[in-house]
Amino acid sequence: MALRWSRLSPQLALTPALAVTAVAFVGAIGWTIYLSFTRSRRLPEYTIDWSEWGRQYSRLFRDDAWMISLRNLITLGLGSALAIVFGFVLAAMIDKEKRGESLFRTVFLYPLAVSLIVTGAAWRWMFNPDMGIENFLHQIGLTGLNFSWLAHADTAMYGIILASVWQSSGFYMALMLAGLKSINSEIWSAAKLDGVPLWRLYIEIVIPMMKFTFITCAILLSLGVIKAYDVIVAMTNGGPGQSTYVPAYFTIQALSSSGNLGYASAAAVMMLVITAVVFLPLVLLTAWQQRRRAEAVK
Amino acid sequence: MPRVSFEHITKTYGHLTVLDDLNLAIEDGDFLVLLGPSGCGKTTLLNLLAGLLDVTDGRIVIGDRDVTDLDPKDRGLAMVFQSYALYPTKTVRGNLKFGLVSSKLPADEIERRVAWAAKLLQIEPLLDRKPAQLSGGQRQRVAIGRALVKNVGVFLFDEPLSNLDAKLRTEMRMEIKRLHDELNHTVVYVTHDQIEAMTMATKIAVMNAGVIQQFGTPDEIYERPANLFVAGFIGSPAMNLRKAKLSLANGRTEAIFGSGIRLDVSDYDFSARPEDGAEIIAGLRPEHFGTPDGSVEGAAGVFNVPVQYAERTGPDASAYFRFEDELLALRIDPAIASALAPGQAVSVGFLRGKANLFDARTGQRM
Amino acid sequence: MSELTVAQRAAGAEIAIDRAPYFPRRKKMITGRSIAVLVFLSICALFFAVPLYVVVVTSFKTMAQIREGAIFAPPSMWTLEAWDYAWNQACSGINCNGLKVGFWNSVAILFPSLVLSIALSMVTGYALALWNVRWAGPFLFLLFICAFVPFQIIMFPLISMTSTLKVYGSIWGVALVHSVLSMPVLTLIFRNYYKDVPQEILSAAIMDSGSFWRIFFEIIVPMSGNILIVILILQITSVWNDYLIGVTFGGFNAQPMTVNLANLITISTGTVAYNQNMAAALLTAIPPLVIYFLVGKLFVQGITAGAIKG
Repeated sequence: MALRWSRLSPQLALTPALAVTAVAFVGAIGWTIYLSFTRSRRLPEYTIDWSEWGRQYSRLFRDDAWMISLRNLITLGLGSALAIVFGFVLAAMIDKEKRGESLFRTVFLYPLAVSLIVTGAAWRWMFNPDMGIENFLHQIGLTGLNFSWLAHADTAMYGIILASVWQSSGFYMALMLAGLKSINSEIWSAAKLDGVPLWRLYIEIVIPMMKFTFITCAILLSLGVIKAYDVIVAMTNGGPGQSTYVPAYFTIQALSSSGNLGYASAAAVMMLVITAVVFLPLVLLTAWQQRRRAEAVK
Repeated sequence: MPRVSFEHITKTYGHLTVLDDLNLAIEDGDFLVLLGPSGCGKTTLLNLLAGLLDVTDGRIVIGDRDVTDLDPKDRGLAMVFQSYALYPTKTVRGNLKFGLVSSKLPADEIERRVAWAAKLLQIEPLLDRKPAQLSGGQRQRVAIGRALVKNVGVFLFDEPLSNLDAKLRTEMRMEIKRLHDELNHTVVYVTHDQIEAMTMATKIAVMNAGVIQQFGTPDEIYERPANLFVAGFIGSPAMNLRKAKLSLANGRTEAIFGSGIRLDVSDYDFSARPEDGAEIIAGLRPEHFGTPDGSVEGAAGVFNVPVQYAERTGPDASAYFRFEDELLALRIDPAIASALAPGQAVSVGFLRGKANLFDARTGQRM
Repeated sequence: MSELTVAQRAAGAEIAIDRAPYFPRRKKMITGRSIAVLVFLSICALFFAVPLYVVVVTSFKTMAQIREGAIFAPPSMWTLEAWDYAWNQACSGINCNGLKVGFWNSVAILFPSLVLSIALSMVTGYALALWNVRWAGPFLFLLFICAFVPFQIIMFPLISMTSTLKVYGSIWGVALVHSVLSMPVLTLIFRNYYKDVPQEILSAAIMDSGSFWRIFFEIIVPMSGNILIVILILQITSVWNDYLIGVTFGGFNAQPMTVNLANLITISTGTVAYNQNMAAALLTAIPPLVIYFLVGKLFVQGITAGAIKG
């Protein structure tokens, strides 16, 4: 077939994006993976010592800070999952009780518009042991309560979880609302006619119908947790000690503070692996959904 | 105004062959209708001509140019789409001009053409409106106008009337016919509506399963369908198709139906010598029967059949009779239709010289 | 007179009976369940609103009052001192010129980021959605994956590349990295939007003009008003709120406002001036908050589209 300009111009228009993808994503990932097998310190070194190519990885898994990071990742993931539950409850209530819908939505969602550094700054201040909320609680007589979570290694992660839930619940609420709105309104009428109590309707009909929304939320949350960095910087800077390290923070510390490029690369590759583990179900799910839709069309 | 020819056109999608070695040529000024059920390949053929799809094999010639590898805009075509495909953000004037600005015409020529098309289609008061502010019929006119201003020899229409209501459809049908009569462009028009095909076409190509079943004038298609598909597809109510056996005896040729009814087809114009005892399918058009219980003098055959039901479809009526466990459709006078009671047995004669005979094995016209 | 009225009344009564009986409905009362739900929602709203309230009141207090510890109390004396200090004198590292430096850096980063990222992803989305490009499918899948890749895995190569291009540590470097990193998601959003443009409109345009760019500028761009605004808001807020790219690529001279803020609040020497910190936090938060309260609906559309398509 003859070469036609009209076939060529869209491909030419795609070349910048293709180049960006090839260089800044595919190439860069390959580069980092390669570096993770080298002994690079502050500057990249491109010889691989084949007798000990996995040295950065074995070091990584002997490093307490990395193990803390992984443990914190799981804690943060489980804790932040509250945001999904909370988001669903808020969405269900807003959806059924139309009064004040837009006001509540505005209030629940505004934290999302703000930088996580700002969020961290605000919560850091409220968690202040001397002048923050703990002080207020003690002043009104609740002296038994402890709210200076960030100051202690065993509670600092909970402080971060609280701030994360505060920041992201509105987002999950918005996704859940979209899911609820897509449910056929006749289902509510049918349930009313049948006299089915509302809580049973939610548990037996609505939540199963929204399983894809829930799965989407869960995957987005996991990916968000893996990327969590700003909020850690703003609230604890990894401290006290290394008690609030997460992989994202660990990796950047290894690169910028310790200046250990090979080591940081190995940590980054592990982050990519974790992402892939979370991401794979999403790809399979999308493929499965598409096949189901294609079958439904037939 | 050029002729258009498709030569050995093949179109495949992966393993799926949509068109296989298709040949078709239409003369200058013809109004060709590609007619067929959905999925028969008619729209594919039109898109190949337009250049919106690439042929897998074969070539397309417009006039004396091989356009197979040309870009759509260089093929000298204009097209009207089913959904009109007006540019929503442009005014009617902007829609008409869009295709002209790139052709480097002088501005006054562009204005002249827009004015001419607007006048021809009576859309002058709408020129500064956006498509969203137009009715369906007006959008249709603008879509046609957008094709007209390009001043090309070949017009393509892709089911252009299917989004209109019945009244507007008739109106636009006449409008398109009038434009063709006035401007005498070559037109390729895709539709699944046989009334559009019969009323507008100078040539019809009936397509099924990617194959052209018959190519001819509307009269030929209707009077002498080439095979069982065309016979059954054209006409409403559809042609009655019944199994029969040929009998050559006493110097007469007769079709004998299972129930023993005989139809004299001695005057039939066989393409090959008929054989005695050949299995055939006789095609009887509903309108080629005499009045029920009326005179059967000179009929080719007489059917004594019970009435199943009769229905009136506006100006005329159809009656259905039980014949050999199937329904036999007749077109009748509405005045008679109301007098027919279900179960009542009547005798109807079939007119001489009107039968269509098909080979039962091949489905081809005999 | 009485007879007449009786007769009239009787007639009236009859007419009334002829009509359908009329039952006045009581005004719908709020149900107990609704009240419970509204109370619960209000408590939740309080949970969301309290931090903003605390930040606002703190920023107007004097340090003396803050040390008293009544975090929820309104300022006894409203003062703009902390705001003035945060804007003009707050220290970020060794520079003590206030957040205004970061503010103008952020503004300077914002514009090239927007232009670059939107131009690139709009054209890419258009080409992928409406033109038959054989490798569009695999490329889309690749973009889909890139949208989820953690930043850390490409961080060092990007630093290396921007250094080679001599843009590391400059406004342009930060803007370039923003554009590159947002390209996959924005492309997917544009592509999904353009997928809904009827194929026949593009066919008509191809027959009329055939020019990729002319169709883009004359037909497609004018049809993109809604999605452009949504993407614009999404991109403004995400560039403005970004910390990681700014701190990594901004060097010393192109630090956005969030980096200044982070430096200010994580400072470990001397006493922490919370009123200044909160004023600085508010200064950083005001631009996106203004957008949010003005066009919240579009903001939500943007983030949900970014999340689901991306």
